[in-house]
Amino acid sequence: MELLVAIGIGTLTAAGVYLLLRERTFSVLLGLTLLSYAVNLFVFATGRLQVGAAPRIQPGVETYADPLAQALVLTAIVISFAMTAFTVVLAIAARHRLDDDRASPSAEQDDA
Amino acid sequence: MLPLLWLSRRGPRDLAPWLAAAADAAGLVLLLQFAPRVFAGEVIAWRMDWVASLGLALSFRLDGLAFLFALLILLIGLLVILYARYYLSEESRLDRFFFLLMLFTGAMLGIVLSGNLLLMFVFWELTSISSFLLIGYKSGKTEAREGARVALAVTGGGGLALLAGVLLLGHVAGSFELDAVLASGEAVKQSALYLPILALVLAGAFTKSAQFPFHFWLPGAMAAPTPVSAYLHSATMVKAGVFLLARLYPVLAGPDAWFFTLTAVGVVTLTFGAYQAIFRHDLKSLLAYSTVSHLGLITLLLGIGTPLGAVAALFHVINHATFKASLFMAAGIIDHETGTRDMRRINGLWRYMPYTGLLAAVAAAAMAGVPLVNGFLSKELFFGEALMLERGGGLQWILPLIAVLGGVFSVAYSLRFIHDVFFLDRPLDVERTPHEPPVWMRIPVEVLVAACLLVGVLPSFTVQPLLEASAAATVGGPAPEFSLRLWHGVNVPLVMSAIALGGGVLLYFLLQYGLDLHTHVQSRNTAKRLFDRTIVALSTAAARLTQRAYAGGLTSGVLALILAASFAGLFPFLRGKGAIGSLATAPVEPMALVVFALMCVSALGSVFVHRQRLIAVIVVSVVGLTVALAFVYFSAPDLALTQISVEVVTILLLLLALYYLPQEAPPERAVNRALRDFFLGCLAGGGVGWLTWAMLTRPHDSISGYFIANSVPQGGGTNVVNVILVDFRGFDTYGEITVIGIAALGIAAMLGGVKLPWRQADEAGRSWAPEAAHLPLALLVRLLLPLALLVSAFLFLRGHNDPGGGFIAGLVTAVALILLYLGAGLEWTRQRLAVNYRAVAAAGLLIAGATGLIAMLGFDLPFLTSAHGYVHWPVVGKVPLASAMGFDLGVYLTVVGAVMLALTRLGEAGLPFSAKRPEA
Amino acid sequence: MNQWIIAPVLLPAVVAGGLMLAGSVVTLRVQRVLGLLATAVLLAIALVLLDQAAGGSQGVYTLGHWRPPFGIALVLDRLSAVMLALTAALALCALVAAVAGGVDAQGRYFHALFQFQLMGLNGAFLTGDLFNLFVFFEVLLIASYCLLLTGSTPARLRAGLHYVVVNLVGSSLFLIAVGLLYAMTGTLNLADLAHKVPLLAAEDRLLVESAALLLLTVFGLKAALFPLLLWLPSAYSAAAAPVAALFAIMTKVGIYSIVRVYVTVFGPAAGEAAPGLGDWVVPAGLITVVWGALGALASRRLGSMAAHLTLMSAGTILSVAALTTGPAVSAALYYLLHSTLATALLFLVCGAVAERRGALGDRLQRAGAAQPVPLGIAFLLSVMLVVGIPPLSGFLGKAMLLQGSAAAPQAVAIWAVLLASSFVALIALARAGMTLFWAVRAAPAPPSRAGEMAAPMLLLAGMLALTVAAEPVKRFMDATAAQLGDVRSYSEAVLNAPGRP
Repeated sequence: MELLVAIGIGTLTAAGVYLLLRERTFSVLLGLTLLSYAVNLFVFATGRLQVGAAPRIQPGVETYADPLAQALVLTAIVISFAMTAFTVVLAIAARHRLDDDRASPSAEQDDA
Repeated sequence: MLPLLWLSRRGPRDLAPWLAAAADAAGLVLLLQFAPRVFAGEVIAWRMDWVASLGLALSFRLDGLAFLFALLILLIGLLVILYARYYLSEESRLDRFFFLLMLFTGAMLGIVLSGNLLLMFVFWELTSISSFLLIGYKSGKTEAREGARVALAVTGGGGLALLAGVLLLGHVAGSFELDAVLASGEAVKQSALYLPILALVLAGAFTKSAQFPFHFWLPGAMAAPTPVSAYLHSATMVKAGVFLLARLYPVLAGPDAWFFTLTAVGVVTLTFGAYQAIFRHDLKSLLAYSTVSHLGLITLLLGIGTPLGAVAALFHVINHATFKASLFMAAGIIDHETGTRDMRRINGLWRYMPYTGLLAAVAAAAMAGVPLVNGFLSKELFFGEALMLERGGGLQWILPLIAVLGGVFSVAYSLRFIHDVFFLDRPLDVERTPHEPPVWMRIPVEVLVAACLLVGVLPSFTVQPLLEASAAATVGGPAPEFSLRLWHGVNVPLVMSAIALGGGVLLYFLLQYGLDLHTHVQSRNTAKRLFDRTIVALSTAAARLTQRAYAGGLTSGVLALILAASFAGLFPFLRGKGAIGSLATAPVEPMALVVFALMCVSALGSVFVHRQRLIAVIVVSVVGLTVALAFVYFSAPDLALTQISVEVVTILLLLLALYYLPQEAPPERAVNRALRDFFLGCLAGGGVGWLTWAMLTRPHDSISGYFIANSVPQGGGTNVVNVILVDFRGFDTYGEITVIGIAALGIAAMLGGVKLPWRQADEAGRSWAPEAAHLPLALLVRLLLPLALLVSAFLFLRGHNDPGGGFIAGLVTAVALILLYLGAGLEWTRQRLAVNYRAVAAAGLLIAGATGLIAMLGFDLPFLTSAHGYVHWPVVGKVPLASAMGFDLGVYLTVVGAVMLALTRLGEAGLPFSAKRPEA
Repeated sequence: MNQWIIAPVLLPAVVAGGLMLAGSVVTLRVQRVLGLLATAVLLAIALVLLDQAAGGSQGVYTLGHWRPPFGIALVLDRLSAVMLALTAALALCALVAAVAGGVDAQGRYFHALFQFQLMGLNGAFLTGDLFNLFVFFEVLLIASYCLLLTGSTPARLRAGLHYVVVNLVGSSLFLIAVGLLYAMTGTLNLADLAHKVPLLAAEDRLLVESAALLLLTVFGLKAALFPLLLWLPSAYSAAAAPVAALFAIMTKVGIYSIVRVYVTVFGPAAGEAAPGLGDWVVPAGLITVVWGALGALASRRLGSMAAHLTLMSAGTILSVAALTTGPAVSAALYYLLHSTLATALLFLVCGAVAERRGALGDRLQRAGAAQPVPLGIAFLLSVMLVVGIPPLSGFLGKAMLLQGSAAAPQAVAIWAVLLASSFVALIALARAGMTLFWAVRAAPAPPSRAGEMAAPMLLLAGMLALTVAAEPVKRFMDATAAQLGDVRSYSEAVLNAPGRP
């Protein structure tokens, strides 16, 4: 099971990184999304994997899933979401001001 | 003094020079007061701490050597001020000029009077700066800028080397205070750092004093106004280098390295400079090369290392300063009167300015080493020392020869100066008729020339005590015996002088009439050109490097990061050990396998279809779904809920983005780029996967035990995750909603500033509808909305105890509202729901902050301290209530406001102007 | 309970929230007044905190009244107090410049975003929790994205995209590193981490070392350490001058994080788990310095030159700070103070110059408009400050750095690089200065505009104070470095702070 999770996270990261290095901004955005999924799963996994544990404190239950790791992931998900939204709008604005939707649009003549 | 000069800007023209002169004279008087004590051998010191940690103190020290130089600086300074007043043209800003001149004088005095090596360095660099500003004074002219630039580069570079040398020296000596440094001479000479120190200090000294091979800046510096050349580049600043050598004489002089380096450099500079001077056509350029040569002579004398050599060096310092300054002034007079400095054009001036010519002739005679003038005496001493040299590994016979050769050259160029300008019988090629300069311009020259004569004829009355005191200070012991008489009898030095004189005259006339000097094409300043070419080569290389690096833009930045991170993360494992833990792994269930397979397939699939953007978005959303399923499977219901709702909004956002972006991307051409990225992806993915695996096979012990134990008793909720978010680690959440708020603000700002085009149809011809067309959908969403809001409220209220909470509730509300916009149309919704979402988000932030503040302001507890208890509602009964719910309310509002702000603005941005709401 | 400690985070937060709520209901004028007032008060608070921290003991603020390591703690020691004061002072100058230059009218919600930025910076400097550091990093990052993009000009959009995406990847890395550390030690609090890391078994240490190096990469990205510096020149030269001036502190956040996390968690006590900071950072820092110097020389625009000089100063600070000896760290801290202010000054002066040249902007070509004399003097002074020409604080800082690194094995390399790069910077700046101020169309120098020189004057005054009061400042930095290295007292203060239960 753990191996599966590790492979899954690895695959997501690999796909994300590949897309990040593409020429077009939209592909970069997709890559960022995949990468954030991978990282969220990773942080979640730091709390170790519990299958079917209780979601809230109940009398009599001893083992719970690691709540701190979950809280961290929640924060991370929301922050990534805010960042993604921002970047999407930035990409749109850039595309329309620069008339070019490549991730590295050509620079002006005299940039140094 | 300096601020006064700045104020004088608006005053009468003469105010600045008079102020400057007054200050200078005051300094002179002050200095002379100390004379008797200094001559008696006393060292006068004053000290104030500045940065003790560095060893830098404001300490000043007056001994014989310092006195000599200070006297030179102040005396010649006074004369230069007077001269400059009349030399500078009417339009010049006198106040700025004298400000800079005084700044320089102060800095120069600082060098000679410093009692702390670091402090001396401070003043050293200040002289470089003020010299730079003075050379570039006529900043409109290209050669002034050129000269200033090269001067700054060379002296600045030398200065940096000197800094290193001084720091090392202080380290060996234990302190930067001169007294301590001078006393530690033996320690320095024995130390392993002696050679580096010597090399660095010499670099500083040689650059400042324009010794070979750093001489090339001095001719360029002649673009400065002549008073500046007379002061800085003959009498004072260039002497700073040899001053340093004299100052550090007790510490550095003696060993072979000192002897050979200094004598070699001195010899080369002496001859090279003198040789070049003969062929110059510009008056000042000739004088510049001559200065270089004479400084080489002084260096040589110091290098020889004998006490008498030191005396000779110091004597020549005085003499050179006096005659060179006066010659520069004379050159300035000629320039002022004729409008040119080119000796090919100025001939036979004797007819027009005989008196000036006489003065110049005397000074030139001093330069040449003619008897009865001071130059002769120091030359004699030089010849004498050259003959008596015992050191040198068998080559010492070269020195007298070089000495004579140098003498020959110096006679030749001195003669050139006088003869070519005043006596040569060629046509005069100038615009105006020259005549004698105003009296006040001549007086400084007269004073200096008089000094030359006086010292030349009566040396022991005028200069002896001064030389004794300074030589003693230099050598670090009692002064050697010497006698400065005009006539020592017919000895070898005298013969050498005679040969030099004769040879020089011969050489000159040969060149002038035999080879016709005027037609001589000036050799270009090769050293300077080499320097310039190096700088240019460096610049071009730098440009090429940086252009290539930056050309890749975003992708190369990400590439560098991924590479660095992969390397960093995997580096510890390169050293061998596996690092897989020993924990048993859980079994795999078939359902999980399916989800896993789906995740991987979709992830890889998105890579292949990323150019068909609509499909890619769908594939990515599938990946997100599998992630949510994973969360469910591994007992994280809160996370799953959040992931799904965030997923929905993200997909909506991406789809909206596709309205503004092309829906398909052209294929990328570079195959090896794809290969490289594939490899990198595998590297990164493999690395992260490896880390995950290593981590998951280890046991885990964390502080969450505390949270689990205290969630109910202290936090008042059974949903531990939520309690952590809004209570235990509420500060994190506070930061997180701030991020959301800022993002929304930024999105609003960006969309307010960019005009997006309104598209009627996409590339395939499918039309975009600005308004809702589908009636059933519109009805459905209108019915759905209250239901959705109810669900949100439910999720919100139960969040503390069951999966739910502010975020999720907020996202559900946002999604419902968006569906309303989508289904019922933008216009319809806007008319009924005129909400300022930005304000909602801001209110959320403020409410969250306020709940945290209650504890602070009311109970003097830290921010975000929570409380909880029970509330009795009439029908419902006892309801647990925690103050953290207020915080959660803030979270809720922020999320709703921010998401709605972003999406509605984005949706509206592409509409034609009339349909847009006026910006709030 | 010392409520002052959280004030630097709460005050900007509340003001920003208020400004965001009001939107354009309040006029720009009112926004300006509010923003300037808030920043001035922030400076006062920071000075109060500095005074408190000078007493020598750490002030710990436990949020939510939960005892660390379970709750989040804010720690006020000398280092964080210094950084807070520096940020506030810089922010005030930058804001004055923004108002004077009308930059705040170029984009919307400038003042709110500015306050948010300050909130993020202050939070990052104060926090004693690794995940909280991540959160505040995100706050300050996103605020900086928005500030950079003020006005949404094409150059800013392009540079902004690069800056944003690179930092987003960096944030993901940050999460991986924090997650890894949590997985191995079970805690997020810095003091607690310092306790737990040395207790790990040998085979677990590899993972921790991996996390440490990842953290170094992330912080190095922020600090523009080689090879992660490609984003800086375009971003800083595209930004509006007051924004670029404020950004002078952003690289310092990265430097601060490296120093704080490494000295506290991965110090000598951590043993094998600690990667040798000096082995990695010193060479990287030196390469950064060289890169910055060459880039400055090659620049054809003034803004790009200033950005490369920022690179140089960041690399300089890191190369020496990474030696982690007392004299080295204290020298690096003094130089950090100085170079932040000096870089900001340079950006402001460059901005003012570029504005007057109209279409030529900040391209280094001749025959531009003549510049007013005070501006020329300011430029000369900033050159002296940045290059390190005596007698100003730049020289003092450089001398301290050279002396502080003298005992290290890499001393020769450090000295050579520092001195050579100063030389190159001198040439580049002198050339630029001559092109901008001397090779101009012959015209009488125009008078300087009101308010144009206000912020530069403030910065110059600050650096003059640094110069004259160099000794007390240096001694304070010595104490700061000593306190920083005393991890034991740090952990004791944090882990024994009052709180529930």
